[in-house]
Amino acid sequence: MLLETRGLTKDFGRLRAVNSVSLEVSQGDVHAIIGPNGAGKSTYFNLITGYHVPTSGEVIFKGRRITRLPSHKRCKLGITRSFQITSVFPKLTVYEGVLLALLSSKGITLNPLSRAMNYFKDEVWHILEDVGLAEQARVRGDSLSHGDKKRWELAITLGTGPELLLLDEPTCGMSPEETEATMVLIQKLAEERGLTILFTEHDMGVVFGIAKRISVLHQGMLIADGEPQAVRASEEVQKVYLGGVA
Amino acid sequence: MQAGWLKQAWWLILAAVVGILAPHIISEFYLMILGEALIMSIFALAFNLLFGYMGQLSFGQAAFYGLGGYTVAMLLTKLQFNFWLSLVAGILVAGIVGLIVGYFCVKLRGIYFAILTLAFGQLLFVIIYKWHDFTGGDDGIQGVFPPEALKAPISYYYFILIVFAASVYLLWKVVNSPFGYVLKAMRENPERTEFLGINIARYQLMAFVMAAALSGLAGALWAPFYRSVAPFHLMWVKSGEPVMATILGGSTTFFGPVVGTFLMTFLHAYVLGFTYFWPVIMGSFILVVIFLLPGGILGFAQEKLRERSFKAMTPEGRDQDAP
Amino acid sequence: MSLDVLFNQFMSGIARGALLFLVASGLSLTFGVLRVLNFSHGSLYMLGAFLCYSIWAHLLLPALGFYLATILSALIMGAAGLLIELFLLRRLYNRGWPEQLLATYALILIITDLVKWRWGGEFLSIPRPKPFTGAIFLFDFPFPAYNLFVIGLGAALAVFLWWLVYRTRLGDIIRAAAHDREMVSALGIPIPWLFTWIFVLGSVIAGLSGAVAAPFGSVALGMDIEIIVECFAVVVIGGMGSLPGTLLGAFVVGQVYSFGIMYKPELALAFIFMVMAIVLIIRPWGIFGRPER
Repeated sequence: MLLETRGLTKDFGRLRAVNSVSLEVSQGDVHAIIGPNGAGKSTYFNLITGYHVPTSGEVIFKGRRITRLPSHKRCKLGITRSFQITSVFPKLTVYEGVLLALLSSKGITLNPLSRAMNYFKDEVWHILEDVGLAEQARVRGDSLSHGDKKRWELAITLGTGPELLLLDEPTCGMSPEETEATMVLIQKLAEERGLTILFTEHDMGVVFGIAKRISVLHQGMLIADGEPQAVRASEEVQKVYLGGVA
Repeated sequence: MQAGWLKQAWWLILAAVVGILAPHIISEFYLMILGEALIMSIFALAFNLLFGYMGQLSFGQAAFYGLGGYTVAMLLTKLQFNFWLSLVAGILVAGIVGLIVGYFCVKLRGIYFAILTLAFGQLLFVIIYKWHDFTGGDDGIQGVFPPEALKAPISYYYFILIVFAASVYLLWKVVNSPFGYVLKAMRENPERTEFLGINIARYQLMAFVMAAALSGLAGALWAPFYRSVAPFHLMWVKSGEPVMATILGGSTTFFGPVVGTFLMTFLHAYVLGFTYFWPVIMGSFILVVIFLLPGGILGFAQEKLRERSFKAMTPEGRDQDAP
Repeated sequence: MSLDVLFNQFMSGIARGALLFLVASGLSLTFGVLRVLNFSHGSLYMLGAFLCYSIWAHLLLPALGFYLATILSALIMGAAGLLIELFLLRRLYNRGWPEQLLATYALILIITDLVKWRWGGEFLSIPRPKPFTGAIFLFDFPFPAYNLFVIGLGAALAVFLWWLVYRTRLGDIIRAAAHDREMVSALGIPIPWLFTWIFVLGSVIAGLSGAVAAPFGSVALGMDIEIIVECFAVVVIGGMGSLPGTLLGAFVVGQVYSFGIMYKPELALAFIFMVMAIVLIIRPWGIFGRPER
């Protein structure tokens, strides 16, 4: 068991965005968190990555309590997330963004005198090729197409060498072909690099296509959790989520 | 990449040649202005480390500049200290104070960071100004002399030139280093950078100390150059000079602040001939650049070059709209 | 240190705090709604003080002169604010905060020279206006009556602003706009005009406080930076964009200033910074502020 949240709760004033969510994520899983808009998925992610401090409950990673650990420290432990809003680094090139992630993960960032571009050439190209951005290496962030920005996001998160990768709506705004390609890519990367993936999604086809385990959130509460077939068959889930707008 | 470097280097070599030959071409009066421009360029480059490369505005850099100058001035006049050690002391004092001030400033970002830098700058100014017994208050300190070897204007000029070149080289290495990349990332997207495992406050503090030390170096060079220091060197108006220079030359390129400083220094020298109203000119230039020439002179030129190279791309490239 | 002395200093601190609240509330208001920090707020304050002096010196009416001058300065600064918003600030709303800060910083430079050009580098002063010329006695200690005027004005402004923000429709719009600009715009409320009027209000308050400050101390160059730094201390301590925060921050800074002056006048500013530093360490978003996350 790689990650566990116990009774994780987050209040914003009187709004309880995440309500006592207890969940386990197993190593090597591709685990989806689904739920209608406003169900608390993003907030839940934010609690795991340290962007928000929970009102109550615990986050445990590799047996260690990380509930109050600052984000950058969690990243060093092996938790990385991608972001839904892909503004990333507008003025850095694709290559530089990935290089930066590698520099950080290998702890070289305090070096103020050597030439950054001399490091990790092989690793950067490897990641860029894996993700399909090798052609775009010299393109700046603000010139990328939406799909490419998402892939760049992914490339950067790979550069940090995570064990647990949180992907927030990784196929948001993509065409069906791009979506398919991205999910295949994610699955491949998970297998090749031994990553555990926790992701949120709207596209049900995607979710049931690759998730090994699904958790369903509704109004901040966990209402179902298990293998795709079981979740799909669950009456409550159908009522709340699948029956309505998918 | 090699060809590109040479293309860029030609003007660098030209500038170096001009710099070395200058004392034999121009009069002593202009040499003094050139020396001033070089010193203030270091000051502006320090500012731009924080602004152009890290994305934070510091309106209080003059405090560190002034501290460098005052340290040298006081060590030389009161203790007859060794000149070289005094320079080092100036840099150290500026850096240490920068560490203390920066510690508080980096707890905040953006607007609040900028506010605090202005506030701390003012605090340091008031302390120097009011501590009459120690610093001489508004009388300042006179009689700050470089060692015999550097007393002649030409000698000191070459000294400034060497220090300038060394500072530029050092800064160039820093901004292209892994540390420099972290700065750039923090400028673009601090949140995302944090999720790469970077302790934002710590890196911002390091950059802040670097900028403070560099500003202190500029001030330390200045005191023996003009033979005196005064409290106005720490004033908020003085803090505006690297700001104006950087905005004018452009914060998006490495040498933008240098170009802007040279323009500003010569303009300043010209203007001082007939008026004391320098702040209004500074402010007006800043506004003009913000509204009419965003990115400053070099930034504007860079954009034009990019547009041209974009159009010169393959037909496919040309079909895509310029960003 | 007897109780009467302490009380006197306390009351001086309240007066100083009231003045600070006057200035800082204008800043906080424009920041809260427009999300633009007007660096030149202190310059408008200084202009208000100088204008008040000139108008008063021109009018030569014994008691009424000062009050008229105050109102006129406030209105003139409101007009200045209108011009600034229309021609400068408006073009910067969709640019980043650096440009906004730089532009308002440029304004400080321009206005400071404007003041120097028009009024020179002298220290000007206005005598306290009737009926606040004398002193009242608190515990056998003379307390300048004018201080009471300032305190009263500060309290009146606080009440006015509280009423405006929490009890009027405009106030609802202000608070909504502070939260979610697009939503307010989508409701058909013209955001540009809202911003203009808020900025004008902020400028009027700045001018008013400058005028009121004139008999309090002396009117001189450097007032702009001095007051803006103290304003920053107020909002850092109290929390930005929050009315109760500004009130609390002003109270704290006023007290620190007052007792600091009593202890060691040159270090008064340093004491304020110490408090600010402590707040920054313990609670960087201010006492009434809310953390960004």
